[in-house]
Amino acid sequence: MSHNVKILPGATVCEDCTLEGDITIGGGTVIHPRVTIIAEGGPIIIAEYCIIEEYSTIIHKKSDKQENPPKPLFIGAHNVFEVGCKLESPCGHIGESNVFECRSFVGEEVKIGSGCVIGAACRLTAPQTLADNTVIWGSDHHIREALEKQPSQLLQLDFLSKVMPNYHRLRKPNVHKRQPSTRQSTEPSPKP
Amino acid sequence: MAYLTQPDYVKYICSCGQLKPITSLYFCRHCLKIRCGFCICHEVDSHYCANCLENMPSSEARLKKNRCSSCFDCPSCFHTLSTRATTQQRQVLQDPAAGGDTKVESKQPKKMYYLSCFNCRWTSRDVGIPDQPVASGGWPERTNPHAARVNQLIDYYKAIAQQEKQEKIERERKKFNIRGKYITLTDKTGLTGAMARNIAGLPSSESSSSAIANFVPSVATAEVDELPEDIFTKEVNLNQITSMPQRLASPDWQPVSVSRLHPLAKLLSVKRSQRCRACDHNLTKPEYNPGSIKFKIELLAYYHVPEVKIISHEPVKPGEKTALFLKLTNPTGHEMQLRLLQPEDIPPPEEKEEPKSIDKSLERSLVLEKDTTAFKAIERQPNISATSRVTSPGVTLTLAQRDDAAEYDDDAQHDTNDIILWRKSNKLGVRLELDTSAEAVGGSPARALVALQYSYRNTVPPAPSAAACRDHTLYTTLLLDLGTVSSN
Ligand SMILES: [Zn+2]
Ligand SMILES: [Zn+2]
Ligand SMILES: [Zn+2]
Ligand SMILES: [Zn+2]
Repeated sequence: MSHNVKILPGATVCEDCTLEGDITIGGGTVIHPRVTIIAEGGPIIIAEYCIIEEYSTIIHKKSDKQENPPKPLFIGAHNVFEVGCKLESPCGHIGESNVFECRSFVGEEVKIGSGCVIGAACRLTAPQTLADNTVIWGSDHHIREALEKQPSQLLQLDFLSKVMPNYHRLRKPNVHKRQPSTRQSTEPSPKP
Repeated sequence: MAYLTQPDYVKYICSCGQLKPITSLYFCRHCLKIRCGFCICHEVDSHYCANCLENMPSSEARLKKNRCSSCFDCPSCFHTLSTRATTQQRQVLQDPAAGGDTKVESKQPKKMYYLSCFNCRWTSRDVGIPDQPVASGGWPERTNPHAARVNQLIDYYKAIAQQEKQEKIERERKKFNIRGKYITLTDKTGLTGAMARNIAGLPSSESSSSAIANFVPSVATAEVDELPEDIFTKEVNLNQITSMPQRLASPDWQPVSVSRLHPLAKLLSVKRSQRCRACDHNLTKPEYNPGSIKFKIELLAYYHVPEVKIISHEPVKPGEKTALFLKLTNPTGHEMQLRLLQPEDIPPPEEKEEPKSIDKSLERSLVLEKDTTAFKAIERQPNISATSRVTSPGVTLTLAQRDDAAEYDDDAQHDTNDIILWRKSNKLGVRLELDTSAEAVGGSPARALVALQYSYRNTVPPAPSAAACRDHTLYTTLLLDLGTVSSN
């Protein structure tokens, strides 16, 4: 295990996962077992309240035109990485409230805004930028634009952080310098 | 499983001449013939919604345009929509003077429901449909802008159909009057024509004639709206424009913009029963309950006709004899005698015109609607271009009856010989010789033709009039797909 993995208080990180390189995991985030996060090209920062499910892979790839010091890969809050999805990115910024559905693949040079959904088994390989609230689905990669962001999974996060310690060995939070940002107490109320 | 995931290597020739795998064939126990989906009658048994599994009588289904009233499909990707609940702190929209109790009520969190698609994440909120206070139903319905005209047309065509029917009945009646022997439907049932029409829910002849007289035909016009100025200059945002399938899914509105998409009421499914055309017996009949996938009657060829599977074969070479290994299975509960023949050896079916009972012909004549010519079965000889023939070994093979318990003991019996490779319960492995014609071109598809003669014990209780003949000798022809002819 690398010494560079920083787990903030409130994060639920299972021991049975591969974390390599300089990784920061924000409070409230749940990382299931068998997850692979590799920061070989630069640090990876995962913000608060993300769910990273089994067998998902997040790689910060090495690239030739790397800056020095390398730029971090920043993953915003409330992102959901479903079972078996894969995210490869040399660097950059992923917005918040995105959903990477089961076995989806996001290749290099794909910039993702906020509120996007990469549908199950969809593969994004060409360089592109997804505007906010873009939904991609189906084997034909249909694209549509949602009106609002995907609802957040706070109930699921609460449940997971309560249940996971009963069944899995967890990694202890090792950073106490910064207090995790206060959790939003209520779901953002939907439009009337 | 192999039948689902693999190509159909073994095809049977249906009595109508179609080539089909055994899994899509039926077997009529009354005609003792193989039938397929093309040569049987399909009848709608019941309408139901595949999502909520609600049964619907056919009259109601017709009234609702064969759509479920409580389930919806996604207008964007056609997946079934799910109802999602949200708790909502209702803002007090009424002015405070309206009274205290509205205020108290609005303080409580209220459950509101919207429709959401789990596939493409479309929601009813995307197009501004307000959330509903009840979980099912109550969704606003849009009326078709051309509803009046469509109804007018429907009435008109109904009237025409009515008129033509009337004329036909009139003609038939004249015919009967000449014969003077038969009674008409109305005489028999004691109904007058008007009463019968009333019962059938058809408009009376007076109103139908007025509907025809008052009908205004459409007039084509050459004037169409001008295209908008910016049609060629404005940048197109494909995310805002609907696709062709999305437009055609709601033919009444054909929305151009995604903001006009509206939940599609789910189309109903039917349970159908299938009937042999020759003898009118049911071949399949499903259970009425929409949740059940079982059948009351299930005369599938898979349960009655010996199943042939290819184990392996040597490469097919032109003008040479090669080995072919087949597995034969007896699916019936009786011992089966099986011979392999050449297709030419099959005796032609005896043409026996069954004597039509008077009752039946009378019944037929009363059903004036039925155009009996439409039921004439067209049998044709299938176009079989086989490169190879399976040499008939000239022996009779005996297959034991199916025994589900025998599946579990695996001692294969060893009465093997030149032809029989192994024998296990009701299954038999055979080694055969394949004779390929010298004209076969290398690379062309290699197909082998073989005919089966098999004994079949009919377990249907015989009709009192028919001879109590239970054991039959039946024939079927198979086409085996053996890949391609090897070129050397
Ligand atoms: Zn029949
Ligand atoms: Zn047929
Ligand atoms: Zn329904
Ligand atoms: Zn959808």
